[in-house]
Amino acid sequence: MYYIVSGYNMENKITQLRKGILELAILGALSRGRHYGYSLVRTISGTSDIDLTEGTIYPILGRLAKEGLVQTEWVESSQGPPRKYYTLTVKGEEAYRTLGEEFRKLAEIVDNARRASAPDDESADYQVLSVTKETNNG
Amino acid sequence: MANGFSGPVAQIVDNYLDRLKKGLRGIPAKDQEDLVKEIHSHIYESFRNDPTPDEVSRILKVLDKLGEPAAVISARMPEAMVTLGKKKKLPFLILAGLLIAFFGVPLGLGGLSAAVGLLIGVLALVVSFYIVAFSMILTGWLSAIILIIRLFVPGFLDPWMDIYPLVPDPTFNLVIYILGALLISALGFGMLWLGSRMLRGIRFVFRLLFEKIKNWRKRKTAPAQ
Repeated sequence: MYYIVSGYNMENKITQLRKGILELAILGALSRGRHYGYSLVRTISGTSDIDLTEGTIYPILGRLAKEGLVQTEWVESSQGPPRKYYTLTVKGEEAYRTLGEEFRKLAEIVDNARRASAPDDESADYQVLSVTKETNNG
Repeated sequence: MANGFSGPVAQIVDNYLDRLKKGLRGIPAKDQEDLVKEIHSHIYESFRNDPTPDEVSRILKVLDKLGEPAAVISARMPEAMVTLGKKKKLPFLILAGLLIAFFGVPLGLGGLSAAVGLLIGVLALVVSFYIVAFSMILTGWLSAIILIIRLFVPGFLDPWMDIYPLVPDPTFNLVIYILGALLISALGFGMLWLGSRMLRGIRFVFRLLFEKIKNWRKRKTAPAQ
């Protein structure tokens, strides 16, 4: 009965994938020094043509602050309104190391899986029992 | 509001920040102010660094890159509230809830029907609570006013009023009744205050339930292979 409600949604998949990785990118940028929101956006999206909704970094930053991975500080700017700067805490540095290592391993898995060959069933004596149909409910 | 911009650009920025503030209702005031200030700063910096010559197209481009206020807010608010606000699905959800409540059991949606029934029960409780609170305030004030008039106009509304003498002195007796009426309306206000607490609690509980159901549904829909 629930299958009707949620279909396959590419946008959702991309959002989910981005959320965690964006968080890691933010921690990575902050590991090189303090940033304010806009400079983070520039740093993260500046080098690629990824279509990033800039506003989405703020909820992530808010959560990181709540978790104690970053600390914040309002600093007067020589031009315009004050900027809210983010710095990595010791806990944040640790988290970045652990998550970064995990990400490296996962990227490796994805890459290896792509290269690996499928099991060689041609020689085996097997019978098709059932086939799932391709559905389109998205 | 002085936002560091001028003319139509300032208006566009104000409009965006206003919408942001509206979406932030329900989170602590300090966090609200902080986030609005931060987004304001972002808009300023982004505007300063964009080369588009026409200021209006430039600010529109800046806000487009920033995204709708909902994108900025989403993770700060409980997910359920944001999606409801964003997609305006509430009437549909209420209708669906009623349908499930009435026809759910024969269709085999027993658990869900019970949950919806519970929801409707709680809603009825809240509504009746507020009706009692408001009627207490209303009757309290009305009687106080009538009694105060009686203080100055003896026998006012006499055919309809029969005040039991608690003390022999009629004036003192009236004062006691006025104080009583005021006390009742004060109790009504107290109930309103309690009610806001209660609503917050109920909302919290249902939000938890909603998230749980959603997660469960997700797991059911997309089982890990």
